[in-house]
Amino acid sequence: MAAVNPGERILIVGQSVMLLLLYIFLYFPIFYVVYLSFMENNVWPFPPEFTLDHYALLESMSDFHEGLINSTLIGLGTGALSALFACLAVVGLLKYRSRFRAALIVLYMSPLFVAHILIGISTLMFNRGVLDMPGNIPSTILANTTYGVAFAFLVILAQLLRYDWRLDEAAMVFGARPARTFWEVTLPNTWPALLGAFLVSFILAFNNLDISFYNLGAIPTLPTIAWGTLRHGVKPELYALASIVNALVFLILITLYFLLRTGLVKLGHRD
Amino acid sequence: MSQVEAVRTSPLGRLWMNRNLRFACLTLPGAIFILLFLVAPLMSIVVFSFWRTESYNLIAEWNLDNYRVLLSDPTYLTFLWRSTVMAVAVSLISLVYAYPVAYLIAKHGGRYRLILVLLTAAPFLTGIILRVTAIQHILGPIGLINMALTTFGMEPVEVLMYSNVASAIGLVYLWVPFMVLAIYLSLLNFNFELLEVAKVCGARPWQAFVAVTWPLNWMGTTIGIVLVFVPTLASSVTPRFLGGVDGALYGTILAHQFGATGTWALGSAMGVILFALSLIVILGIWRTVNLRRSGFTGEEA
Amino acid sequence: MTEAVLQLDDIVKSFGATKAVDRVSIDVGRDEFFSLLGPSGSGKTTLLRIIAGLETPDRGRVLINGEDVTRLPPYARRLGMVFQDFLLFPHRTVAENVAFPLKMQGVSPAVLKQQLEWALDLVHLTGLEERFPHQLSGGQKQRVALARGLVSRPSVLLLDEPLANLDRELRKEMEIEVRRFQIDLGIPFIYVTHNQEEALTMSDRMAVMNRGVLEQVGPKLELYERPRTGFVAAFVGSANRLHGEIRGIDGAVARIDWGGNELLGATPSGAGVGDRVDYFIKSERIAIVPAEGAGNAEGHTRLAARLRDVIFKGQYADYIVTLPSGSELVVSGPPALDGLTPRSDVVLHWPAEAADVFAAEAP
Repeated sequence: MAAVNPGERILIVGQSVMLLLLYIFLYFPIFYVVYLSFMENNVWPFPPEFTLDHYALLESMSDFHEGLINSTLIGLGTGALSALFACLAVVGLLKYRSRFRAALIVLYMSPLFVAHILIGISTLMFNRGVLDMPGNIPSTILANTTYGVAFAFLVILAQLLRYDWRLDEAAMVFGARPARTFWEVTLPNTWPALLGAFLVSFILAFNNLDISFYNLGAIPTLPTIAWGTLRHGVKPELYALASIVNALVFLILITLYFLLRTGLVKLGHRD
Repeated sequence: MSQVEAVRTSPLGRLWMNRNLRFACLTLPGAIFILLFLVAPLMSIVVFSFWRTESYNLIAEWNLDNYRVLLSDPTYLTFLWRSTVMAVAVSLISLVYAYPVAYLIAKHGGRYRLILVLLTAAPFLTGIILRVTAIQHILGPIGLINMALTTFGMEPVEVLMYSNVASAIGLVYLWVPFMVLAIYLSLLNFNFELLEVAKVCGARPWQAFVAVTWPLNWMGTTIGIVLVFVPTLASSVTPRFLGGVDGALYGTILAHQFGATGTWALGSAMGVILFALSLIVILGIWRTVNLRRSGFTGEEA
Repeated sequence: MTEAVLQLDDIVKSFGATKAVDRVSIDVGRDEFFSLLGPSGSGKTTLLRIIAGLETPDRGRVLINGEDVTRLPPYARRLGMVFQDFLLFPHRTVAENVAFPLKMQGVSPAVLKQQLEWALDLVHLTGLEERFPHQLSGGQKQRVALARGLVSRPSVLLLDEPLANLDRELRKEMEIEVRRFQIDLGIPFIYVTHNQEEALTMSDRMAVMNRGVLEQVGPKLELYERPRTGFVAAFVGSANRLHGEIRGIDGAVARIDWGGNELLGATPSGAGVGDRVDYFIKSERIAIVPAEGAGNAEGHTRLAARLRDVIFKGQYADYIVTLPSGSELVVSGPPALDGLTPRSDVVLHWPAEAADVFAAEAP
């Protein structure tokens, strides 16, 4: 790349400051909430008075465990379905020529452009009115998957674009049928993408409010519990809840990062 | 001696060897799923918007009452207008802020690019309630900022608590990662050396940006704008908790129809209008994307 | 020629509006090293992919050992293939890569071990079984690809420009090795390349393709010495390509005007006075002597020229000459011929039969 002249250097410094401020803007509230969750005084927690009471209170909340389990179930179901649909679709779209490719890509990405609340209310009324499905976990999983599959699609597409599909052709010449080719060659080289898609869809569904809320009604999930608590004024248990969820998401993201790293470095990809 | 393996010559086996069929089997399950669980429900609310609600039930009596109310009652129109203004403002702010940041990461990030961009995207995954809570606890009257100010003997900042400004800040907080991501992905495929060419031709940095960078990345920019605009337009939770008494937006009212009042038909009509507005904006922006001029070669993946 | 192992019968394949392969028919026998030669876009790779089963022809048949495999998918054809970018499985060791075809065929572990050892020994890779592709050099990867193609003792081995990604030294070495494998194993190799030198070095028979059409097929010397079309004359071997107009015909010999010079060549069939022709004279068929004392051979084309440059190539040299009309010709001959120094006057001559003349193609 060409040498950086002084004018550009100022620009880079300016942009770096903006980036730093952005990170602070994005992360400070998160860290502050974690800090608060351990503090006695939630209004002006200085000087710090450490306590675990909020977590204990959270633990004792009747809904908490149920909400946690439900959120996890919804997340797992959505993650699995989304990753499955998206994986099949991306493989099909990248391997075969068809005049429907553009239309299908638009279709798979369309959920990104529909507001959650619309998905929530429309699936609520559709399931209730047309399909005659009660509001429960499975129907929520289905509703969340519409949104999750778009994200999964993007994650898998981004990684599989770099995959050398000629490896699959080579495998076929050497006697592997299509399914066997996928298992022996494609999957070992692309599994980080699939797992990443699963994790992203999982997190989105786990944390989702608008879609799940309308479909579940009274059945609690962590976000709806948080919503309920928030409606009655902020309670400190909420901070404990937030911190736990953030920790979980953080862990998953670290896993995701290392997956992407090894996906790039070790396993096969076209330079 | 037969040189070739005995391949399934059953009708099913021969069917499977058809490429078009394999393509369909792979791509159709998800497509049908989306059609069934996204498109169909959306179409159903269009139907429901023409019905009535009576004692919490939808009655299939076709009428235009819902729309008449929505389009004539100034209250609803005000909310729609407010939401639109908010969405435009938030999109613009996000755009202005996200562009330089995405530019920096894409051009100068080097091997830290991935982690830098993931760090901007990560907060998005922590869920809406928690993020709103966090912002509320910083901006609100007993939030960090105001408490800090009062502790040091200064006046709390009115405009930050329970106001549209707070809502706007909250919405930017929620959605700016999308904008960064969209522009970043576009810039990844951008050949920065084109700017060197422009400079050699005599363009000053600002001119080079306007003439080269901006148009070639316009498609990514529009995607980012839409990704921020659509959810902001429909936002209900954020304005409810940050906007204060006067801060209710269209989405909040929409949510109401499915809550206490149980007026699903009216809510459906509101949803239809919301969707229509989003669609108009999307299509309007799409038309500004001239594929050939944005550097998109149209090559198939 | 022994009985054909591979038969291509009137193959046609189009992609959209372009005809990638236009009515190609070829037979390949058991002991042949057969090259498909042509520039990029000539359809040679498409043809190879059709043989492998990676593409289905629109019309025509592919027969292997007499069986019609045209509609069979690649995994049913039991062929071996070596790819241009090697395409080794990056997540598998060398041993696993080479054993892959055997594993897909489901042979017993004992047989697998035996074949694997044989293949690795054949390409001199014993000892590198546990390495991964990214740990290998280009030449080593090439040999793994070869071993993988041969391990299952296929009836045909297909090679798609396998040496294109190797540096020159290595390529020369491998050309000889690959040729040796073919002779030792006694199975036909179908070798696709755009490098005519490579094809001439390695093959028994060659086919030249141009824009989907089979220009000529036959033993390599035949394509070299007696090209049947202008394209083959230009593509195989290094020839000087000239355009001229027939001024007169004396039986089988035509007198052709080339920018004021007279060329003698065999009359193309059906050509008459006034027709434009493409005239090819191979650089090694031109005799070059100093102008002083140059004789006057009967029936030879004779041109006066000035030697511009001598390019030393080791065993021979290229003499670049300029004619009064300004055109240049390349003559190949022994290096350091007496009296030939740059800027000296020379005479070029060659017999009429040495040139290949064809009716000019429309511009």
